[in-house]
Amino acid sequence: MSGDDSTIGRALGGLVDASAIERILISLAALGLSVVVGAVVVLISGWVLSPCPSAPFATLGGLGEFCYNPIEVYWVLLKGAFGSTFNLATTLQETTLLLFTGLSVAVAFRAGMFNIGTQGQLVLGALGTGLSVLWVAPVVPAGLVGGVVLVAVGLLVGAAVGGFWGAIPGALKAYADANEVITTIMLNFVATGIAFTLVSEVFKDPGSQTVQTRFVPEYAQLPALVLGIDGFSMLALVGGLALAGLVYWVLRGTSFGYDLRTSGVQPDAAEYGGVDAKKTMVSSMALSGALGGVGGAVYVLMVAGQWQSGIPSLGFDGITVSILAGNNPIGVVPAALLFGALKGGSLVIEFDLAVPQQLVGVLRGLVILFVAMPEFFRMAGIRYGYGDDEPAVATDGGTPREGGADDGGDSE
Amino acid sequence: MTKIDDRRRQIVKVGGASALGLGLAGCLGGGDGNEETTAADDADGNGETTESGGVTDVGMVYATGGLGDNSFNDMAHQGVQDAADEYDVEFTNAEPGSPSEVANLQQRFAQSTDPDYDLIPCIGFVQQDSLSQNAANFPDQNFMVVDTTVDADNVANYVFKEQEGSFQAGHMAGLLTQMDFSAGAGETTDDAVVGFVGGKETPLIKKFEAGYRAGVAHADGDVEVRTAYAGSWSDSAQGQEIALSMYDKGADFVYHAAGGTGNGVFKAAQEAGRFAIGVDADQSKSLAKYDDVILASMVKRVDEAVYRSIENVVNGEFEGGSTETLGLEQDGVSVVYGNNIGSEVPEDVRSALEESETAIVEGDIEVPTDPSDL
Repeated sequence: MSGDDSTIGRALGGLVDASAIERILISLAALGLSVVVGAVVVLISGWVLSPCPSAPFATLGGLGEFCYNPIEVYWVLLKGAFGSTFNLATTLQETTLLLFTGLSVAVAFRAGMFNIGTQGQLVLGALGTGLSVLWVAPVVPAGLVGGVVLVAVGLLVGAAVGGFWGAIPGALKAYADANEVITTIMLNFVATGIAFTLVSEVFKDPGSQTVQTRFVPEYAQLPALVLGIDGFSMLALVGGLALAGLVYWVLRGTSFGYDLRTSGVQPDAAEYGGVDAKKTMVSSMALSGALGGVGGAVYVLMVAGQWQSGIPSLGFDGITVSILAGNNPIGVVPAALLFGALKGGSLVIEFDLAVPQQLVGVLRGLVILFVAMPEFFRMAGIRYGYGDDEPAVATDGGTPREGGADDGGDSE
Repeated sequence: MTKIDDRRRQIVKVGGASALGLGLAGCLGGGDGNEETTAADDADGNGETTESGGVTDVGMVYATGGLGDNSFNDMAHQGVQDAADEYDVEFTNAEPGSPSEVANLQQRFAQSTDPDYDLIPCIGFVQQDSLSQNAANFPDQNFMVVDTTVDADNVANYVFKEQEGSFQAGHMAGLLTQMDFSAGAGETTDDAVVGFVGGKETPLIKKFEAGYRAGVAHADGDVEVRTAYAGSWSDSAQGQEIALSMYDKGADFVYHAAGGTGNGVFKAAQEAGRFAIGVDADQSKSLAKYDDVILASMVKRVDEAVYRSIENVVNGEFEGGSTETLGLEQDGVSVVYGNNIGSEVPEDVRSALEESETAIVEGDIEVPTDPSDL
């Protein structure tokens, strides 16, 4: 299919061959375009609504009234995301959590697997963290030292539990040929059910109506450093950023990462080159699950202070974040920030403007759709061999090709 | 973008919402012309106390099922609308998407200075932990909470004896399932089976289940009760599936305490040609398209609780630290017959229900609050 001269083929090829700078510019242009389209949607919704319940934003002779001011909507969105310390903390809280889940999905993607199970890995990781911290707390001294120990224990257990839960679909795929998309989706339900039942039957906080564990001790919760707003800790954000760098390094600079990436790009070739494909599947899914589990640990230690039912769908949003980022660990950082900002900003629109929540949802969706589409088509283009002039690597170990899936995704 | 502009929009939202009864779809409705009060409000610097004649600002934080459930949250919404009709009250709605957002929304209201909220009603037990913290962090802010209690001087608590109303619902279902009864689109089968669908298996919803099962047993110990929990407050497809399987097993009545998930129960009742019992609101009215299968609803007057708490604040009589328990006796809970087919309920069933109500109010019947106590 390489060298397709049709318009579509050329367009896809152009996307596949785009340099890192070009891709960033494409993303920014897409963001701008989504704002323009969103503004038109806001205008039209206001026009459809007329006569306006209050003074219209603008009236055009012959056309009617426009109820909503699109500039104001986007201004409040921006202000709501970054405008005050409190808003900024809300945005960064979401950003931090999505960093972990986005990385989780990205790692699995790079290994050629679609991990839809990050949500389940996060829920169980969170439970592991909550329970282990509660168990260990009585034997460590209160205060800073105890806090450090407890946070370390919580993160480790969260990672271990999430990693274990992620390894299951990996093993099922490796040794039983079970499609990981199906198994991870189903294991989400199993995870949520297990966690809910365990907590409601065994570990429930006896003083509460909600299904939740007791609170972990105050000193085991991540401190609200820098911004001073409960629910966000700069420590977690810095840790998340460091983890993004670490994952990038593991993928790029270690032999494990090389095995993982080659398995993702061309499994047969990888195996021919001496990679144990089955082991790689299990270990990469375990790594992905562990990252999701750490996300759950941070959720407990930073946001909730306990495991509680109804954990938000961070794992599913992580899929979108990862796709936005082109499955690049570094790209996950701006993608998570964009998601966090949209989340924080739309909360404030609900508070401040008469614009209905659903319309805000449309605007959020537009941004995500526009920014994700170039990356999506790029991935599709890679999959079907567009771009470059070199043919794709064949299983006989033909000349390795430059660019394309392998380096393109890492070079941002 | 100016202050005044923000303010105006907020009022618009409120006016629209009350016109429609559909929460944040506020933009679609007509304003109710509160513009003058806005000016006055801004002029006096948005006075903290209502004695100064200012507007009473109310910030509603709903439970996670959200508005549009035609049940619990919409009842609370009804309460604040009623208060806005009666008094000079303006309100803003906030719907958390997940339990972890609740604290954030409470804080936003509590720390807001434009407007400075006079009361923050917190709807649902999901608010408990966040509210314990925020009540302590904002000691000058008045809160009210429904369905749970928070021990703080600035929180007024309202709880209901759901088990008592559910007992009545179960009593009715238990009596009717043994009869040949038809009304509207439903009719009973030869099997004496009834069902219960809960949202999440929390202690609160277990109170509904316990009361319902006790009521069924009070009617006749041989009636079989099937119970299931959907695991969600807003998954109507799941509710429909569960209810359908209950109807397949011969259930004549399914009672739900599942918020929006319950809408599926009604759909299933129509599909199977049986009956359903609504919850929280008179759902034969709030969901009129199902009024041919909703024989009765266990109404929980969340609206009354919200209305009273706002009224207290308007009158400067906010009772922080108090707990009001609303049962059958206080009309906080009751079974109301369906708007369309409720009149078909036979007289002997009605009088049996009246008898059991009296017995509960007088303490002759002790209704359990946990299914394991049955």
